[in-house]
Amino acid sequence: MKREDLIPAEEICIRYKVERQFVHSLSESGIIKVVIIEKTEYIPHDSLTNFEKMIRLSRDLEINLEGLEAIHHLLRQIEKLQKDNRRLKNRLSLYE
Amino acid sequence: MEFIDYYKLLELDKSASQADIKKAYRKLARKYHPDLNPNDKDAQARFQQLNEANEVLSDPEKRKKYDQYGKDWQHADQFEQARKQQAASGGGAGFGGFGGGQQSYSGNFDEDTFSDFFEQMFGGRARAEGARRGGHFKGQDFNAELQLRLSDIYESQKQTLTVNGKNIRLTIPAGVEDGQTIKIKGHGGPGIQGGPKGDLFITFKILNDSSFKREKENLYSEKEVNLTTAVLGGEIEVDTFTGKVRLKVKPGTQNGTKVKLKGKGFPKYKKDGFGDLFVTYKVSLPEKLTAEQKELFEKLQKSGL
Repeated sequence: MKREDLIPAEEICIRYKVERQFVHSLSESGIIKVVIIEKTEYIPHDSLTNFEKMIRLSRDLEINLEGLEAIHHLLRQIEKLQKDNRRLKNRLSLYE
Repeated sequence: MEFIDYYKLLELDKSASQADIKKAYRKLARKYHPDLNPNDKDAQARFQQLNEANEVLSDPEKRKKYDQYGKDWQHADQFEQARKQQAASGGGAGFGGFGGGQQSYSGNFDEDTFSDFFEQMFGGRARAEGARRGGHFKGQDFNAELQLRLSDIYESQKQTLTVNGKNIRLTIPAGVEDGQTIKIKGHGGPGIQGGPKGDLFITFKILNDSSFKREKENLYSEKEVNLTTAVLGGEIEVDTFTGKVRLKVKPGTQNGTKVKLKGKGFPKYKKDGFGDLFVTYKVSLPEKLTAEQKELFEKLQKSGL
């Protein structure tokens, strides 16, 4: 992974006004990735969308970490089902 | 924009307390939050309206203006000023000449939306802060939808898209699929403090303008075959995506027989070669017979066919 695709976790916490523990908890839950280079923690850019989503859910709806984990899991299932649905619709159109 | 009844949106009546408003907003926000309704534009629009409603009704000052002036609540100060001026000049106290009914309301709660939240991180405001803190950030990713006809994507083609006022020339590979998203690296928002540019994601919407059905690189069609050709065999002309071909029909061909025309399908996405065309024969039975034809069929019947 290129260095330019990594954002220092400290920077992220300041900008998003979140505790470092929040980043650690999301990382432990597998919701975001955290990369450590020379003892500094970084969040890859492609984890940022998920990270922001979790911040919004936590702030807008006051959802705790357990809830965020469950939502993350269910959203991934929805994404997979939507993909399957699109594929099946395409197949079904062959018989219409 | 039409007048929005914020109380109705939050399913409340006008006497609702602040606690009621908070509770109603939270309940509906959980239902319509865009992060919980991926790819649902209706839910996103509803959530924005809920935010507007909450922003106004949860702020006693804004709520007071909204209750008093309805859709023109944002212009309440102007109304007040006009009223005072009219009173001072001896005019009436009414607002009739103000044309308030024509004012349109547009909510400004961008700070609550994702895009602005993101903008705060990567956009103008963040840029200034970024300079202070020396952060290097990748720019915002952009998303766009591109509608194409099936016939457009039979061959790779160059198109110029205008995204955020910039023209982007791109080559669309032949065989791209409906709903497929491609990433154009470096064509998103500008990076912060020397960071890389964001990416542009284009999702293709493919409209089938042909008589073929498509699944990935394979095409499917039906061809009517008359009874005598099906029974005795013969030649028929079949449409392919690029023109007509002649096919031999074997004697005794059954209804529903499927034949494969190798390489006559759609181009394989980012690969060499083409898929196949599958033609299903639909044997058509004659509906009207001449006297002679009827006699011949009767002979066939008697022969035990």
